[in-house]
Amino acid sequence: MGSVAIRRPDPAIRLLSAGAGLVHSAVLLDSGLEHYRGSFRNPAMLLPLATSTVNIAIDGTRLVTGCSTPDSSLRVAGQGGAVAVGLIGMGFHLFNIGKRPSGFGWGNLFHAAPLGAPAALVLAGALGAAADRAHASIISDGRAVGALCAAGIVGTAAEAALLHFRGAFQNPAMWLPVAVPPIAAAALAANAVVRRAQPTTAALLIVTAALGFAGAAFHAYGVSRRMGGWRNWRQNILAGPPLPAPAAFTGLAVAGLGALILIGRVRG
Amino acid sequence: MVDRFPGYDVLAKADSESWDAITRRIVAERIVLTERGDVLSDRQRLTLRAVVDRITPQPPGRPPINATALLLERMAGADGEGFRHHRLPPLRAAWSRGLDALEAEACAHHGRAFDTLDGDAQDRLLRLAEAGEASDPAWGDMPPAIFFSWRLVPDVVAAYWSHPSAWSAMGFGGPASPRGYVRLDADRRDPWESSEYVERRGHAA
Amino acid sequence: MSSGAVMPLEPRAKDGRAPDVFVPGGWTPMGEHRDTEAVDFAIVGTGAGGGTLACRLAEAGFSVVAFDAGAYWRPLEDFASDERHQSKLYWNDDRIVEGANPLKLGANNSGKSVGGSTVHYAMVALRFRPEWFKSRSLLGYGADWPIDWREMWSYYAEVEQALAIAGPVTYPWGPKRPRYPRRAHPLNAPAALLARGAEALGIGWSETPIATLSSPRGKARPCVYRGMCTIGCSTNAKQSVLNTWLPRALAAGAEIRDLAMVGRVETDARGMATGVHYQRGGEWRFQRARNVVVAGYAIETPRLLLNSASPLFPDGLANSSGLVGRNLMVQLNQAVWGQMEQEVRSYKAPPSLALTEHWNYEDRGKDYHGGWCYMSQGPLPIGWAQTVAGGRRMWGQSLVDEMNRANHSVGLKMVGEVMPSPDNRVTLANEVDAYGLPIPRISFSYGDNEHAMLAHALPFMEQALEAVGAHELWREEEDTCHLNGTARMGDDPATSVVNADCRSWDIPNLWICDGSVFPTVGGANPSLTIQAIACRTADRIAAMGKRGEL
Repeated sequence: MGSVAIRRPDPAIRLLSAGAGLVHSAVLLDSGLEHYRGSFRNPAMLLPLATSTVNIAIDGTRLVTGCSTPDSSLRVAGQGGAVAVGLIGMGFHLFNIGKRPSGFGWGNLFHAAPLGAPAALVLAGALGAAADRAHASIISDGRAVGALCAAGIVGTAAEAALLHFRGAFQNPAMWLPVAVPPIAAAALAANAVVRRAQPTTAALLIVTAALGFAGAAFHAYGVSRRMGGWRNWRQNILAGPPLPAPAAFTGLAVAGLGALILIGRVRG
Repeated sequence: MVDRFPGYDVLAKADSESWDAITRRIVAERIVLTERGDVLSDRQRLTLRAVVDRITPQPPGRPPINATALLLERMAGADGEGFRHHRLPPLRAAWSRGLDALEAEACAHHGRAFDTLDGDAQDRLLRLAEAGEASDPAWGDMPPAIFFSWRLVPDVVAAYWSHPSAWSAMGFGGPASPRGYVRLDADRRDPWESSEYVERRGHAA
Repeated sequence: MSSGAVMPLEPRAKDGRAPDVFVPGGWTPMGEHRDTEAVDFAIVGTGAGGGTLACRLAEAGFSVVAFDAGAYWRPLEDFASDERHQSKLYWNDDRIVEGANPLKLGANNSGKSVGGSTVHYAMVALRFRPEWFKSRSLLGYGADWPIDWREMWSYYAEVEQALAIAGPVTYPWGPKRPRYPRRAHPLNAPAALLARGAEALGIGWSETPIATLSSPRGKARPCVYRGMCTIGCSTNAKQSVLNTWLPRALAAGAEIRDLAMVGRVETDARGMATGVHYQRGGEWRFQRARNVVVAGYAIETPRLLLNSASPLFPDGLANSSGLVGRNLMVQLNQAVWGQMEQEVRSYKAPPSLALTEHWNYEDRGKDYHGGWCYMSQGPLPIGWAQTVAGGRRMWGQSLVDEMNRANHSVGLKMVGEVMPSPDNRVTLANEVDAYGLPIPRISFSYGDNEHAMLAHALPFMEQALEAVGAHELWREEEDTCHLNGTARMGDDPATSVVNADCRSWDIPNLWICDGSVFPTVGGANPSLTIQAIACRTADRIAAMGKRGEL
């Protein structure tokens, strides 16, 4: 429709786009590393790389324009692909865990293929789709998107808790992504329920977004603490704390800020 | 047997993160070690060389393994291995007597020196010792079977499999510090590990 | 394996500093004592017993000098990725072995370096089954320990914390224990095969609680799965006495003397220990001490006590019971091996990442006493060549061919309880070593119980391998591991050498603190128990010191 082109750039759409794109970027780097570690033994292990790359382009474009494009079949295919690949990935990963000795025991939750990673792809695809439908009634009040972001943040925090438990919380900073983001998620969810955007929620989301960057720095420090440090990068990038993982917090928090703007507009 | 790991050479990783300074140094010293002349008599060394060749044949198509030199080096040192069978004298004395006795067996059975016999004849004499059926007086009170299983075989294989050519032939990862391994599951390998070339049934990689 | 090229010629721990094990070329301050100063404790040996005790006594405020015959290594720069070179870690001095089953010592059961054999142990950190502490009363064999298992349980927890043991979130056997401080490592292929085999046979399995880091700890880096644990860890991931208790000991003021071989404990006319004679830097010296602790493990400990005979103690020190050197217990370390279609590559990661203690805790179906566990395996080339050559009587091209398919080999290895027998013993030989000291003579034979256990264990492990598709199975029937029990503890001076506090019955200021004091060995690796006993001993000594009972 021609009307799309004349809309003014919307900061909420930009934030949703940036958030979705960041999560896709984290998925691209994370699945790239992890599936390389898995030697790409199944060709399907390339799919998340492909879908997240396509969606980075889609979300990046929208970040620049600041406008929705709800009826682009290319975008629908990209976003639907991300959701589908994410769901299939979750199935694969579940199957992988289940067939190992002791099944869904702690050891496999720690070391086998993670459930959270493909779930992030589903989430990011959905966020991109929402950004392209920011004016649809179900999206424009921000409540559904806010709830989605809150759920995503809680899920990401749960994954951080699991993996930091694997690391025995050997550094006290490892508690931060477990403790802070769920508070931001709770505030965002509460704002979605009461249809009110509070400044404290925005502040909490900004802190969560910052934690994502800090997390990447901490993980880089973690890599340096392993034997051979960065010089032994071929091992330590794979075996050390995952560098791209914390960026998912940043992405979801940025998208959450977009949702918060939408929530605020209802009253506005 | 066909080389299962053609093209794989542990030494090719010597400059990588898989090797640290001390490992580089001691392996470099090891592979150039030559047979020292101050341990054992000339005749004993000839016999030893022949024995080592029968116990541990060289890997075809790979740099030869200087197991005899490594074994002589060990005999020259003061260390034992922390235990000694009560029927055996100390390490170097046991070897000295055992090699004399194998030589005496060769002369008794064939009228020729051990190292001039063909491989099959050498193997037969070694099997005689292994079974405890060697009886030449040169063995003295040292039981040939005990010498064979407690001294001869363990010492020779320890020398042979301390050489990178032997590691490469078996597809062993070799030195691994600071870089160890990432992929631990069956049928998975890191890019810096050997790749096996063998017709395999089932188990698609 | 010649020592000249690889041993530091000079002691390192001197002039007020000791090697910093975490820094190449690094040093850390160390307190020093003069030979003429009677220190509170002279400790002979710095392994699981002596090193742990040195730390805990120093932290309790005692003046401590600990001696070790071996070198003070810095793992990061001194440990090569090489079996032959790393034999510098073992006790390679001659010992005469005899009996129906002469023991193979050296690499797998003794250490000669600061930190003792923990520097090259396989790091398996198991607690004893509680009943084993009262095996005579509760299970009908062996001898009771004079210590209650519940007390041991708290010391086990202390050691697990001190070593940052990586273990499963919940351990399937035995009474409840606190969570292991670190999470278990991922399973390597041999460990996963053990797990599948156990599941196929319907018995439990677990990730092995193991003393190597699964996450960073201070200056120590997490394990990189290089798989060379039993030749010395070059990354400090392994939590040995060398890089856990001893840095603490130094910080608390203890002095460590490396390359110091103690040859004799001196006693006076009153029958009290007065210090130790030791050789260091080529000369014999004498360190005065108010108390002497012998912690040289189950061969060097009785050897030193026997070599310290005096007119007052003509049969050796602490030997009025005649039990010093007797009841030597190894553990059965037999294995079953087979070939897999898959590539197993068991050289990667610590060798024993999975185990089953099923037959330690299940007594039904046994026609013998005692327990055993089995673990996954990860042999290195020289060790594997000697195993194959010895176990299958292979040499020549057949041996080389077999070695070249090692990447497909997989094995299960037991740790099985050996019964105490007074005829399995350490005595002195007529030969002397380079220090002029009589060398030990070790006689060992299996009894009926050991044969019966093997007749159960080996076929069982074969089933476990068959269940995962291993073929060409064969048995390694000769190996043993660990050394314990030549100065047993007990309640009665007539039937034991030391009391529950590791204090000798005969000489009140002579203590023995290592695996020698075990009355029984159980079917579990002993290092955790040795360290727990050392912690308990330190607490008991501190309490006695406060009451003026030392």
